[in-house]
Amino acid sequence: MTQFTQAATSRTPYIHLNDVAGTLEITGESYPEDVRRFYATLSEQLAVFFASKPTQLLVTIHLSYFNSGSARALMELLDQLDEAAARNTDISINWYCDPDDDITREFAEDIAMDIQTAKVNILETDDGKDG
Amino acid sequence: MEFERFFKFSQLLLRGEFVLSYSGYVSEDILEAVGDTLRQRLETHARDGRQVRNVFSIFVELMQNIIRYGVDGPQPGLRGAEKPSFGIVMVSENDGKMDVIAGNFVNHEEADMLKGKMTFLQTQTPDALRELYRERLRDMPDNTSKGASLGLIEIARRSTLPLSYEITPTGDGHYFFMIKATV
Repeated sequence: MTQFTQAATSRTPYIHLNDVAGTLEITGESYPEDVRRFYATLSEQLAVFFASKPTQLLVTIHLSYFNSGSARALMELLDQLDEAAARNTDISINWYCDPDDDITREFAEDIAMDIQTAKVNILETDDGKDG
Repeated sequence: MEFERFFKFSQLLLRGEFVLSYSGYVSEDILEAVGDTLRQRLETHARDGRQVRNVFSIFVELMQNIIRYGVDGPQPGLRGAEKPSFGIVMVSENDGKMDVIAGNFVNHEEADMLKGKMTFLQTQTPDALRELYRERLRDMPDNTSKGASLGLIEIARRSTLPLSYEITPTGDGHYFFMIKATV
C-alpha cells in the first residue's frame, strides 16, 4: 500500500499514515460536516495497514479543538488501534493537549482508561496557543 | 419591514457588550462562516485562550443542535430544500464573562425531550457530567436522540455556570427553545 495523507481544512485535521516508518499523525481541528464519513476513510486505511501485520505504530494526536461528534469517532479510532495492539502490533499513542484545555485532557484520560493493550501517553504542549 | 423597526432591531444588537449574533437559517456552511467570524471577534474580546476555546466549542454544539433538532417553525421554509432549521445565536460579554444564547423552534415532542434533558443536566456536578459524557460516548447513537445529547453534555461541561433554558409555546403548535451557557 502507499502512504495516506489528508490535507487539513478549517474543519478537519491533517492526517498522515506512513506505513514504512510506522507512524500516524493527526493534527489540527476536528468538527467535520460529516464526521462518520471523514473518520471512516482513515479507519479503512488503517485496516489495510494492519492487514500487513506491521510490527509497530507510533500515533501522534494533537487536536487543538474537536467537537462532540469527533469525540465519538476518536474513541472508535482508539478502539481500532487497541484491537490491532492486541493482535500483533506494538502501538504507542502520544496525545498532546494544550495546558489550558482541561476538557480535552479529561477526554483523553477517559478514553485511555478503556484501552487495554496500546500504550497511551497524555502529554502537554509547550504553549496554550491554538496550532 | 419599516426602517423604524429595523433601526430598533439594530439598536438592540449593537450595544457595548455585544460580540456576535446570527439569526436565520442554520446550515453547516453557516456554522463555518459564523464560527470563523466569532473566532476573530473573540481574539479582541475574550480574557484568554481558555475562554475562546470554551465559547467556540459551545457555539459549535449549539449550532449543530439547531441543525439537528430545529424545525422551520412559523418562518417560510425553503421549497424543495432539506429541512430548514431557523435559529438565533448570540454571544455577549458581561463583566468579563461571555454569555452564549441560542434559540430555535422545536415541535412538541422535542420540547418535552429537551425539557427532560435540560432539567437533568442542570443538577449535575462537573464530575457527574464527565462520567455522563463517558457513558454516552459508549452508547450507540439511536434515531430518536439524534446525536445522543452528547452535545448538550459538552455545553454543560464547558459552561462555568449551570445552563439555563426556557421553552415558550409560540401558539401555532411550535415551541421556542432558548438555552444559555456562560463562560
